[in-house]
Amino acid sequence: MMLELLSVPAVILILGAFVLPLIPERFRSIAFITFPLVALVMVWTMPEGNLLQVPFASYELDLLAVDGLSRIFGIIFALITVIGGVYAFHIKDLGQQSSALAYAGGALGVTFAGDFFTLFIFWEIMAAASSYLIWARETKESAKAGMRYLLVHIFGGGLLFTGILLHLSSGGSLYIESIEPAYTAANIFMLLGVALNTAVPPLHAWLADAYPKATITGAVFMCALTTKSAVYVMIRLFPGWEILIWVGVIMAIYGTIYALLANDIREILAYSIISQIGYMVTAIGIGTELALNGATAHAFNHIIYKSLLFMAAGAVIHATGTSKLSEMGGFAKKMPLIVGLYMIGALSISGMPFLNGFVSKTMISGALGDAHLEWPILLLLIATIGTFLHTGLKLPYFTWFAEKKTDFEVSSIPTNMKVAMGLGALFCILFGVAPQLLYSQLPYPTDFQPFSIYNFVEMTQILVLAFVGFWFLKNHLNISSTISLDTDWFYRRPAGVVRTVFVEFPNNLFGLAETFSLQIADRLSGLSENPIKVLLPSFVFSGREIKSDGFTASMSAALAFILFGFIVAALFVLL
Amino acid sequence: MKNWHWIALGILLITSLILEFTYLADYASHWWNHVPAFYALWGGLGCAALIFISKGLGKIFILSDEDYYDA
Repeated sequence: MMLELLSVPAVILILGAFVLPLIPERFRSIAFITFPLVALVMVWTMPEGNLLQVPFASYELDLLAVDGLSRIFGIIFALITVIGGVYAFHIKDLGQQSSALAYAGGALGVTFAGDFFTLFIFWEIMAAASSYLIWARETKESAKAGMRYLLVHIFGGGLLFTGILLHLSSGGSLYIESIEPAYTAANIFMLLGVALNTAVPPLHAWLADAYPKATITGAVFMCALTTKSAVYVMIRLFPGWEILIWVGVIMAIYGTIYALLANDIREILAYSIISQIGYMVTAIGIGTELALNGATAHAFNHIIYKSLLFMAAGAVIHATGTSKLSEMGGFAKKMPLIVGLYMIGALSISGMPFLNGFVSKTMISGALGDAHLEWPILLLLIATIGTFLHTGLKLPYFTWFAEKKTDFEVSSIPTNMKVAMGLGALFCILFGVAPQLLYSQLPYPTDFQPFSIYNFVEMTQILVLAFVGFWFLKNHLNISSTISLDTDWFYRRPAGVVRTVFVEFPNNLFGLAETFSLQIADRLSGLSENPIKVLLPSFVFSGREIKSDGFTASMSAALAFILFGFIVAALFVLL
Repeated sequence: MKNWHWIALGILLITSLILEFTYLADYASHWWNHVPAFYALWGGLGCAALIFISKGLGKIFILSDEDYYDA
């Protein structure tokens, strides 16, 4: 039984998290890459089907449900963990390495879970393990942000679990299968739980709050795993839920506007995740085979270019010590390689032909076109323009090319970070020029052809004019040292009041009660020391003090004799 | 931006327009395909709209001081 568990890729990674501390430090980074590599090979070579059942109470849990959809997500999660491992090769922080492995294990577990119970367990492992990647930054801000992140995810897990329990109690199956669009309480709770991890507004604020505060290497894992595993679950459970079409469009625009306003480079990238997931959610809402293929392909590509972008942003922070556009500028010549690699990722996400974003974005707009959803197409195009504006133009321009705003040193970047970024860029180009490599792995067979004159004309015109617009209007973009208020306002702003009402007030009340009861106990114990003092207070009689607890010398002597007599009598009787 | 950058962008745009008017002349899968150079217009207008709308929203309520939550 235990040996069979080793055939689960998620178990390998979580086991790795526990084995890592036992490995000598100089081999640890290699081991850190080896575990996900093993998992990658396993995912790649597993046959399809439900490969491992484990009895649990009166249920049979399905730990390893492999099909086309779970395999492609499994491949990309394992692959990005390997690349993230290369990027973090120089890190000697055992806590970060172990939690990253457990986190990736959670994502793989969710991917191959065949039943809701297994899904939920791995879902929670992801939340707990990823929180440490924020705390490991060891700043006051990250400590608070990590706690908020964990609390929000526990809340999301609660929503999901409530949904699962309601689903089971209303006769639903424990096994994961697509749910008919019906707004029952069970479905709504499950949808909300999944939507929280997918970062659907207004449940999205944890993402833009936490990712910019995570460690440089931790953010690379985070940007790849949590939201995309939730996208996977959404594809599984809610394909064809029409509400998701518009939810996705709103996400895409919402994320774009916030990304345009953000000052922190990783906050721009974090909001851009929300915007990109909007495309996937829209596609899931359409629910056709082409649309679900598009959502899957876009999640796959997104993981590659977004982690590349986060890696480049991390390199900038590593080199300069700052992450704010309001403090940077004018050092493109000091890191040309990073700038180049970043631009590959940025043009990919913007949908430039021959890079990977193009081959999946066109698939989603093709699916929208087939469904005659004209306004979503036009609005998603606006989000594409916005993506090019903030990730493709604003961020690189104000980070590297614009006038220098403050003085800072630019230190060198470890080679392993550059290698990892090179790998990311390589995949961006590879799937961009040879989309068949990706298409052949998609859950539904497809003969989709992205390279049409129509698509070239569309993207060229959009991107060229967006660039021209940026060039003339760039001074209207925000690069001041500000933060953006988002829906986290609702739990961050009242935090002080909540703390006063629910923590400090009860705390003070208990404190008062404690002091009061201790004082009473103190008095009572004083009383019990010599009750006669209280019952018969001392008094003054004809000029001399009569002590109620004292005796005259003769009385004491008499009492002593009586006591002595008792002892002698007792001894006599006993002996 | 050097001159040749603008020239390159111009060539790209003109190429796309030529392709649109030759190869895609009778292409009409969406209503906007009847509008010439629609995607160029949409790109330019969308870009300006996004910049000014986000700027406006930022001013009204989104942007705030960095120590907003600490105060």
